[in-house]
Amino acid sequence: MSDPIIQFSPGKYIAPFVDWFNTNLHVVSKAISVAVEVSLHAIEGALLALPPLAVIAIVAIAVALIVRVRVAVLAAVMLGYCLISGLWIASMQTIALVSVAVLISVSIAFPLGILASRVKRFDAAVRPVLDVMQTVPPWVYLIPAVMIFSLGRVPAIIATVVYGIPPMLRLTTLALNQVPKEMIELGNAMGATKRSILFKIEIPLATPTLMVGLNQCILLSLAMVVLAGLVGAGGLGAEVTRGLTRMEMGLGLRAGLAIVAVALLLDRVSRGLLNRNRRLAGTG
Amino acid sequence: MNIENFPDSFDSTVDSGLAWLSDNGAGLFDTVNDALKGIYEGLLWLFNLPPYYVVAVLIALLGWRLAGPRFAIATLIGMLFCAFIGLWSETMGTLALVVVATLMALLVAIPLGVIAGLLPAMDRMIEPTLDLIQTMPPYIYLLPAIALLGYGTGTALIATFIVALPPAFRLTSLGIRMTPNEFIELGNASGVTGWQMFVKIRLPFAMPSIMAGINQSLMMAFGMVVIAGIVGSGGLGETIYGAIRTLDIAKSINAAIAIVILTMVLDRLAQSAAAAQGGKRS
Repeated sequence: MSDPIIQFSPGKYIAPFVDWFNTNLHVVSKAISVAVEVSLHAIEGALLALPPLAVIAIVAIAVALIVRVRVAVLAAVMLGYCLISGLWIASMQTIALVSVAVLISVSIAFPLGILASRVKRFDAAVRPVLDVMQTVPPWVYLIPAVMIFSLGRVPAIIATVVYGIPPMLRLTTLALNQVPKEMIELGNAMGATKRSILFKIEIPLATPTLMVGLNQCILLSLAMVVLAGLVGAGGLGAEVTRGLTRMEMGLGLRAGLAIVAVALLLDRVSRGLLNRNRRLAGTG
Repeated sequence: MNIENFPDSFDSTVDSGLAWLSDNGAGLFDTVNDALKGIYEGLLWLFNLPPYYVVAVLIALLGWRLAGPRFAIATLIGMLFCAFIGLWSETMGTLALVVVATLMALLVAIPLGVIAGLLPAMDRMIEPTLDLIQTMPPYIYLLPAIALLGYGTGTALIATFIVALPPAFRLTSLGIRMTPNEFIELGNASGVTGWQMFVKIRLPFAMPSIMAGINQSLMMAFGMVVIAGIVGSGGLGETIYGAIRTLDIAKSINAAIAIVILTMVLDRLAQSAAAAQGGKRS
């Protein structure tokens, strides 16, 4: 290969900024880290406080009551696998990571999605950004997160949140745009305030599509959380990484199957919620 | 089997199973590995044969034909940028990986998709498998591949191949099934043979959907190829992995920029190709 005539490295110019940021705005990243760690600890603590069998029982009963019995059986089997494969703690860590990331993604994406459905100009500005965000491979999100928050769970959460925002934002906008105009006019004609139109008419009608967005957001977040095992996020991703890099195939496959179990659990339960909503909408 | 011992017995079963496989199937896996590596290295050699600016201009010309002059100029600048930041051979490595893996996936997915489009029973059989493939995080496909093929390019290609299968298969089968009934009746009425029916009527109608599938498979493959850096695939993925582990900020930023440039170029190229196909047919 012939060497190019011009050679430069944009990274060399950006790196000092990152250093500057890390030395001078340490407070900001520290505050975010603490907030994320505290919420992670809370969820993890709740999941690990009870004995595993009790957690499985509670999840199964809750799913059976809210969704349906078949999904509950599946959930119990999947969690049971996580338990007997000796990866209960890692599985709960992964679930905690996914939950925190999804909560943050949704609480950012949902209001922005509503805004985008109201303000066409904002929608037009956001759309190309989302396009780029969704085509870029997930790996790329980890790099800036690691640069600012170093290794560990916090960069994993940050990267996951960024990765989970686009599908939720898109589907929120889509969901609200799909609400029939007549229903909103009906609300206006009855003299409802904007707020009650949003909460009593638009959001209930948009729920099925919103649930699709939530389902996608959860699955993408899981993929990212697993990948973040590479940057020391812990959980099942770390076990898979250990299996891959140390050639401990038994451990790797065991953790891989546990990831499959968690993925199926999260997917089927969130889809179950979606179908339940459809059923309720159908009868109601 | 005692439940408490499950992890240990699982691990030892897997280990002995793999040992058996590599004892008895070593020849096969080595052949697969060598074949994959050979194809990849051949393509990489081809990409690295002309100087970087020639390749950049060729890609830009392709962009001109498919998406117009503005995109061509952006492509040229982007590709030259990859060279100027000193990551040209890595960029070509990633490109070669994506091309090989996507082609393999398409060779399997499109014929299968066509069959599934014609036979609904087969579609119903394969659909749950595809659902499962798409539900799982792509990262874990590296596991079975690395267990059988070991550290290196072969593993990266196999894992990428698996991830790139579902979109092309799904959209091919969908496209074939979407042929309007009137046209099938028209074909029957004018007495075409089964083969003519397929090539002249079904395939043209399915083309836009198939192209969309190819585009999606390409992008899935791209995402996976970058992840596969961890198993020593070569290319930008490996550069990033190395840079993150050594906390070399400058290098990881450069590699990330190169990946983003390559993503945008590939995505636009594939989308424009799909749009051109769709436009021609309608």
